[in-house]
Amino acid sequence: MSTPVAMQPVAEPATGRNGPRPAKRLTGFMPLIALVALVAALTVADPDFLTPRSLTAVARTAAPLIVLAAGATLIVLCGGIDLSIAALASLSTVLLALWLPNLGGMATPVVIAVAAAIGAVQGLAHVLLRIPSFIVTLGGMSILSAVALVVSGAGTVRVVDDSPVKWLELYVGGYVPMSAAMALLVVALIAAVVKATPLHSWISATGYSESAARLAGTPVDLVKIGAFCVSGACAGFAAVMLVSRQFSGGPTMADNLLLPAVAAIVVGGTAITGGHGSLWRSLAGALVVTLLRVGLPIVGVPSAYEQILYGVIIVVAVALTLDWSKVSIIK
Amino acid sequence: MTVESGAAVPRRNSRRGTAFRDAGPPVALVVIFSVFAVLSPQFRSIDNVQNIVDAAAVLAVVTCGITFVLMMGSIDLSAAGVMGASALTVSLLVANNRNDNDFGLVGIAAAVVLGCAFGCLSGLALVLLKVPSFMATLGVSAIGLGVATLMFAGVQPNISDAMLKSWAIERFLGLSYLTWIAAACILLGWLVQRYTRLGRYAFAIGGAEEVLTLSGVKVKPYKVAVFTLAGAFYGLGGVMVTSQLGAGLVQAGNGYDFSAITAAVVGGTLLTGGRGGILHSAVGVVLVMVLTNGLVQVGVSPYWQGGVEGLIVVAAVAAAVIPQRRRNQVVK
Repeated sequence: MSTPVAMQPVAEPATGRNGPRPAKRLTGFMPLIALVALVAALTVADPDFLTPRSLTAVARTAAPLIVLAAGATLIVLCGGIDLSIAALASLSTVLLALWLPNLGGMATPVVIAVAAAIGAVQGLAHVLLRIPSFIVTLGGMSILSAVALVVSGAGTVRVVDDSPVKWLELYVGGYVPMSAAMALLVVALIAAVVKATPLHSWISATGYSESAARLAGTPVDLVKIGAFCVSGACAGFAAVMLVSRQFSGGPTMADNLLLPAVAAIVVGGTAITGGHGSLWRSLAGALVVTLLRVGLPIVGVPSAYEQILYGVIIVVAVALTLDWSKVSIIK
Repeated sequence: MTVESGAAVPRRNSRRGTAFRDAGPPVALVVIFSVFAVLSPQFRSIDNVQNIVDAAAVLAVVTCGITFVLMMGSIDLSAAGVMGASALTVSLLVANNRNDNDFGLVGIAAAVVLGCAFGCLSGLALVLLKVPSFMATLGVSAIGLGVATLMFAGVQPNISDAMLKSWAIERFLGLSYLTWIAAACILLGWLVQRYTRLGRYAFAIGGAEEVLTLSGVKVKPYKVAVFTLAGAFYGLGGVMVTSQLGAGLVQAGNGYDFSAITAAVVGGTLLTGGRGGILHSAVGVVLVMVLTNGLVQVGVSPYWQGGVEGLIVVAAVAAAVIPQRRRNQVVK
């Protein structure tokens, strides 16, 4: 966002590898600790919580959120942010619902490809026009919502024959919902590809210090565009999951997933300043956010507190995970 | 001294560019207005011009607030949440169908103070917790919406307060009271920007924060104060929407955050800070309103409004960045 200007020479290299502070070590385990604590607390509050039925319900609710957060995590790792994921997912639900009658089984890959292309366009705008990513995606959010409204006529698009997306409603081994399994698969796939290729170091380098990465010959621009592209594809896949659950597409269907997705990323411990974090952390973060959402009514808190909770979580989690050594001026 | 050098040095280097940038938005306004006036007979009627100005009132007030934040180089996405909370607050404190309160002006003041509190919260999160402003304000917006939902409690409060209702209906010199309130806000904002330390420092923080810090100015209190001031404007904006709708709605501020950023950016306030100002933003507000009104008049679906704003923002920011694209290599 802003070009960080070092006021005093920073003695410690900003990689965070050599000797993490105790606080950092703690935040490293934060998502897991929070996850275990939440499950324990909910089990105490309601002994029925630890039954296969409610756990599958949680897994099914979490699936679209996990996929959305996983895609956006790549962008956050590069030091940017994607505020358009929810709007893109909404638009994708509309497109999928509209195209299912004509394209049938092909509609799913086509929608994911279109979403990936839209993501790539935003990445191109960010890289080529040198606009901060949150402005590009804020504008993108507005544009995509408008397109979704116009294409759908501002109404819900019903899906009459949902057989092409019905497979997501199946259960693996009788218990694990297919959508949750697919979400896990997406996270594992992206994480494995990133890990097995030079992408891992390229993404971290871009996030930790973009200008240094550029000077070292890292294809920073391509990495960023790729991250936006994957984020778009993930939004498209999340939309497929939503349509398979709700039998319809709507121009604002996924809009309320933006805050939970951002919260999932930062709760997982991925630093908003870039570089530090991983997709698995976002998976844990998404589960924490979903458990909070499901858990509030169990504990007897009205769902209106959900929004307040997201707000507080985002601010606190960002504050805890921020790489303070890197930015001396926060805008 | 510090303020002078902080704001003046970059201007001297690119005087021609600045003059062009300052003249651009008003010229664009005249051109766009003329184009729509030629295309649509309804657009150029006196009634419609009144409509445009009246419709711009709330956006103008919100944009006043956001301009100060943008001048610092920060950003504020909290307008929607703060406006929702203040709309519910004011509708529950003046005469309404939910309770027996009838505080009149005090209720309105309370809503504005609530806005201040939310703005202060954003500022404190930025300064003390070092959370980047777009994340801090995104969080505060969610908190505001949550507070509004709690106050809404499933039953819509319809207001019956004669004074607040009259703001949107009664006219003075052909324009609604709300428009005059907005004009007063612009004047107030301009005075703050021009003549107070707060306004000058807001500029300087956006222009060269490290210079300001090194010369011994404590910038943190000013940052919090700027966000608080912005919150006050959003609070008033929420009150004005309530006056227009005759009811307190959680969604009172929907879209205003983004429209206000659009208006400010189009008016020539740079997102990097240190440029622009209230008067620039006022031109930007009218430009956005003329564009949305004109597009509807020539037959474009109103659903496109957000899309048009999105395109404008990206284009305006890109145009502003082009002269310095080689210089700042890192764009997050």
